Amino acid sequence: MPWYLYLALKQLFPTGKRLTFFTAISVLGVAAGVWLLVVVTGVMGGFGHKYRGLIVDTQGDIQVRARGLSRQPAEVMKHLEAIPGVVATSPSAEGIVMLRVGNKPTFPGIQGVDIRRVENVIPLRRHIIAGSLDDLDDDTVILSRGLAASLGVWIGSNVEVISPATLEKWQRDEIMLPTELTVVGIFEIGHQQLDGSVAIVTLRRMQDLYDLGEAVHGYNVKLAPGEDVVEAAQRINATLPATSGLYASTWMEAHPGFLFALQMEKIMVTLMVSFVVLIAMFLVTALLLIAVVRKTREIGLLGALGASAWQTAAGFCLQGFIVGTLGTLAGLAAGFLTLANIDSIFRALGSITGSWEEMVAIYQFTQVPAHITAGEIAGIAGYAISMATLAGFIAAWRAAKLKPVEALRSE
Amino acid sequence: MKLNEINEPILRVEGVRKSFTSGDRKIEVLRDVAFAISAGESASIRGESGSGKSTLLNLFAGLDAPDAGRIELEGRTRIDAAARGRLIGIVFQSFYLIPELNAYENVLMAARVAGVLNAETRQRATELLRRVGLADRAHHVPAQLSGGERQRVAVARALINSPRLLLADEPTGNLDEKTGDGVIDVLLGLCDETKTALVLVTHNAAHASRCAQKFLLHEGVLSPAS
Ligand SMILES: Nc1ncnc2c1ncn2[C@@H]1O[C@H](COP(=O)(O)OP(=O)(O)OP(=O)(O)O)[C@@H](O)[C@H]1O
Ligand SMILES: [Mg+2]
Repeated sequence: MPWYLYLALKQLFPTGKRLTFFTAISVLGVAAGVWLLVVVTGVMGGFGHKYRGLIVDTQGDIQVRARGLSRQPAEVMKHLEAIPGVVATSPSAEGIVMLRVGNKPTFPGIQGVDIRRVENVIPLRRHIIAGSLDDLDDDTVILSRGLAASLGVWIGSNVEVISPATLEKWQRDEIMLPTELTVVGIFEIGHQQLDGSVAIVTLRRMQDLYDLGEAVHGYNVKLAPGEDVVEAAQRINATLPATSGLYASTWMEAHPGFLFALQMEKIMVTLMVSFVVLIAMFLVTALLLIAVVRKTREIGLLGALGASAWQTAAGFCLQGFIVGTLGTLAGLAAGFLTLANIDSIFRALGSITGSWEEMVAIYQFTQVPAHITAGEIAGIAGYAISMATLAGFIAAWRAAKLKPVEALRSE
Repeated sequence: MKLNEINEPILRVEGVRKSFTSGDRKIEVLRDVAFAISAGESASIRGESGSGKSTLLNLFAGLDAPDAGRIELEGRTRIDAAARGRLIGIVFQSFYLIPELNAYENVLMAARVAGVLNAETRQRATELLRRVGLADRAHHVPAQLSGGERQRVAVARALINSPRLLLADEPTGNLDEKTGDGVIDVLLGLCDETKTALVLVTHNAAHASRCAQKFLLHEGVLSPAS
């Protein structure tokens, strides 16, 4: 071990002492900065990641929408599935119906899915919290949790569905009974709006309710893993003739506002927290500079023992590096711990300030998500460690400028 | 011829001048200093406060450069820092121990910096601490040692690399008479054993007289004292 590394370690962790004030304060300072960065990046990233996941989980990687109706679904799907990168497609039709139990009406969104295909595109089964997707047929329905709760129904209950088409027929005095469906499943996705008021039926049933015949409203598309969604959407659009009335969009295009806001928020907060880290580094710099001044005579002594200026400087640089590394490790550990428990922490904070409900209303999530990438972690660690090393470098530069004779003379 | 070789000085100084400027005033500290010392010899330097003794030792140690004149260490005028660290041991008036290290580690620090840390120097550190009477204080940090004990640690540190030349700048200045005498005993004894040349700067006439050669620094000139 080079002597300056030895001395750096000894000055941080002196013989016979467990911890010095300097070491504790500076490691804590760096750790606090790193912790903040990890938590902020994680929570901010979590919303974006979760939102994306939600959309992909409910609509597939890419949505192909028809202007009006798409009348030859089988052919369109054959066409789409021939495009490289596309692994599966599923047709869908959606609208709004009146759902009634007794004389309590609600007006949920309704989605018709192709039982044979939907699971290739959308992991619907994952979100079923009661009942089973297997029981879904033309006479049954799956309700979102919120909808089931507001209707006061559960698995086995019957609900009446009245579609716009039914109403039209009633207007023309045609006799038509409301459709009666049995609830066979409840789903929950974790998004307030989606869980609030949605019913899922088979595509067949939906086409019936809306008098669509064989037509559908669009297609959900699943891409091969790792496929770039934007490129894939462009590729699909390139093959769709303008006359088809079909247009492929990514989840990002479909929901630009919210994601943009999240991204801006993330950049702003990350920037602000980076300044916190910068201030922590000023602390380390100041503490190390004090150490240099306090140890001036020792620096002179090292010179007298035959140390070169750069070796002495390296000792201080290394102190910054070691403090930075330890602080970063501690900060990362604390950050991960916080992110792992972020939901309960936010709930606790929310119950103290009474703002939990508002948060849910704004962000639509009933759980605080956290998501941080390896790249972000590496960025945070690299930033903190290099800033601390820089702090050490500033102190080291001061130390290197000292001449041994003068350092020894200093009082 | 053979005799000449043996007595080839470790340190030879000729025509050394050194002045300092503070503000617009120039202080000529050393005017024309000549000095030489060989292995096994000892020399004391006395002089009034401010006469330039420490300045002279710094020049001897290569920590500072003269304005004029030659300073040769083992016949060389230029020598790199690490080699100088092995060749010269220095005991300062203020001990300059590193507070984060215990006595043993402080002694070894000189070997680390000089790049000669090995099993032999570790053993030598223990032995030196025993010789200066600190065998049972080896694991005490400076804050737990008395002034005399600290100075003896500094003596052990100066000797760890088996230097050819030991420079001691008022090594007993901060110590009471009895403790000071003890330190000088150790210093002279160890240098004598290892044939280390010793230059001792001191105000203490009794200590000075124990060296084979005695010098007086006065008005920038070094001259033999009676
Ligand atoms: N770096 C410097 N700048 C200006 N003046 C200096 C410097 N170093 C030494 N001097 C001056 O040189 C003179 C000799 O100083 P030095 O420390 O060598 O004296 P000394 O003989 O060791 O004195 P003491 O016995 O008090 O230790 C003093 O007048 C001091 O003010
Ligand atoms: Mg002096």
